[in-house]
Amino acid sequence: MSPASPAMNLDFSAIAPVAIVAMGAMAVLVLEVFLARMRSLSEFHVSVALALVATLALVLALGTAGQAFLQGTSSVFNADNPMLRLDRFSAFATVVVGIGALLSVWMSMQYLIELRINHGEHYALLLISTAGMMVLVAAVDILTVFLGLEILSLPIYVLAGFDRRKTTSNEAAMKYFLVGTFATALLLYGTALLYGTTGETGLDGIRAAFPSDNPLALAGLGLVVVGLAFKVSAAPFHQWTPDVYEGAPTSVTGFMSVTVKAAAFAALLRFAGGDVEPAAENLGRILWGIALLSMVLGNITAVVQDNVKRMLAWSAVAHAGYVLVGFTAGAPGHGAVLFYLAAYLFANLGAFAVIVALADRGRDQDRIESFAGLARRRPGMAALMTLFLLSLAGLPGTVGFIAKFQIFSVAVRAEELSLAIVAVLTTVVSFYYYLRVPVWMYMRDPGETPPRAGLDTPEAAVLSACAIAVLLLGFFPNGGFPVPVLQDATVLAWAHEAAAALR
Amino acid sequence: MSAELFFFYVFAALAAGSALAMVSNLRNTVAAALSLVVTMVSLAGIYVLLRAHLVAAVQIMVYAGAVLVLFVFVVMLLNLREDVFPPARLRPFKLAGAALGAVGLAGFLAALAGHVPDMAAVPESFGGYREVGRALFTDYVLAFELVSLLLLAAIVGAVVLAKRRLEP
Repeated sequence: MSPASPAMNLDFSAIAPVAIVAMGAMAVLVLEVFLARMRSLSEFHVSVALALVATLALVLALGTAGQAFLQGTSSVFNADNPMLRLDRFSAFATVVVGIGALLSVWMSMQYLIELRINHGEHYALLLISTAGMMVLVAAVDILTVFLGLEILSLPIYVLAGFDRRKTTSNEAAMKYFLVGTFATALLLYGTALLYGTTGETGLDGIRAAFPSDNPLALAGLGLVVVGLAFKVSAAPFHQWTPDVYEGAPTSVTGFMSVTVKAAAFAALLRFAGGDVEPAAENLGRILWGIALLSMVLGNITAVVQDNVKRMLAWSAVAHAGYVLVGFTAGAPGHGAVLFYLAAYLFANLGAFAVIVALADRGRDQDRIESFAGLARRRPGMAALMTLFLLSLAGLPGTVGFIAKFQIFSVAVRAEELSLAIVAVLTTVVSFYYYLRVPVWMYMRDPGETPPRAGLDTPEAAVLSACAIAVLLLGFFPNGGFPVPVLQDATVLAWAHEAAAALR
Repeated sequence: MSAELFFFYVFAALAAGSALAMVSNLRNTVAAALSLVVTMVSLAGIYVLLRAHLVAAVQIMVYAGAVLVLFVFVVMLLNLREDVFPPARLRPFKLAGAALGAVGLAGFLAALAGHVPDMAAVPESFGGYREVGRALFTDYVLAFELVSLLLLAAIVGAVVLAKRRLEP
């Protein structure tokens, strides 16, 4: 701890995305109080106003992060004691979680009204959580890693229990809270051991001073990895996933399934991604085991699920396994991991958005039976759901294929053959349960239940944005689509450039 | 053995012993909570030995004071009696857990032997409110502000979950 100079040299551009999103959250909180009192405004209009404020904050944050990425600058808030670093890596991850939050805001609007849980705090909590994710992905100090993780988790514990009338929602919140706190305790214990053995709190310092022959340091690293593995719902730390995914309001499930995973994996990349050479072998062995178990357990258990939200929860476990395969491949795998997270975002959020849009009479229609004959009743929705599920399975032509292909090929190149073979085999298994939903939608007769009429504009916008992204990134992962902005959107190359900033 | 080391062992034994007493006391929750107070105060003693005087004071005020009072309140409000708890089950799991914990502890102690560094020399003013305050608002100002964001989230969350009236 150096004695601070009187004039601190602070660079606020490093914390701009976090600060903007946090201020957006506060603006939503304040604005809601005033808008809710204006009798002339309908519930829907209040929601639109709050969502617009949230959108403004998120777009500004995305703009700053995107600019930082394209310019390739790296800024640290306080050079004397670096806590957050906005480099190309964190800028990329910030954009990913920001897009996830943006889509979630618009996806949840009509749904919250439908479920009669339309409180303005929802948007504020969502934004605070997003700010926490942006802290986590930019954290270069163990202190900010912990704070970011807590700021992202706490609002989600609440959001999971947002539907207080529903027992399963309460159960989800309680379960996620207890398990999440447990994971945080493990992570804290790990950080204490790391600090104790290295005398550093900065990640770079820990890396430089890491005593690889000290079992305490290795235990500390292992505990940090376990703490983060809880958040990404990798097996065997996944037990909370199905219940929480099923019980939480679907818009919240969609939000947390993609953004929490992206942020926690980004933090794991910061830990594992640099040259932790002394620990790399041990860490690699742990991650290898977790990856294998997640893929096998997630895919096989997903087969027997009759609730689509639960099925997607087990598929989330499986996808955590695929992402971890990218970790075991070392440096070349990190770009593949980042691209996978972006790909997973659009496909998974899209699938949850379909369930959100199908919610009827204040309830989720998430049993597989309620998808029967959907193609006849609502052909557009059925087609979109099929597209998103096929992308999750990894059919060529969708972004899921490119992402999986990247992961598998780096695994093969890194001579992780057994892991790659398991990944391919479990992908084949996954086609069964992903295709089960389209089979119900296209080949069964519709049941008694009449569908909810129409599709609301915000939901339609979110669905089409996800669908366009899935297809566009599937066919043009490196840009080249003949439309001015998209021409240069070389997302795949960007992911690899972002990963290069780790080293 | 220096006086410092002697007191360290006293406080450490107290902290570990009362923590164990808290976990193993299944019948009387108030007594368990009071065991926790002993742990907290002993930890404060260890902080004093480490020259972290402000942290020691905060430990007593916040943990032994506020947090524990909250615990005792909740325990008393719930008024849990012995017959409320379900009979002990999953005995094999508990035994396996205890065994695993013992193995872990043994490994931990074995690893610790020979790795304990000497206590670093610290400046005279270390651990006082002045030094802590200075560090908090210069080097760690960002972390400080982030904690306030975390507290905001906690407050909003508590209001949402507890205060909002349920619409029928």
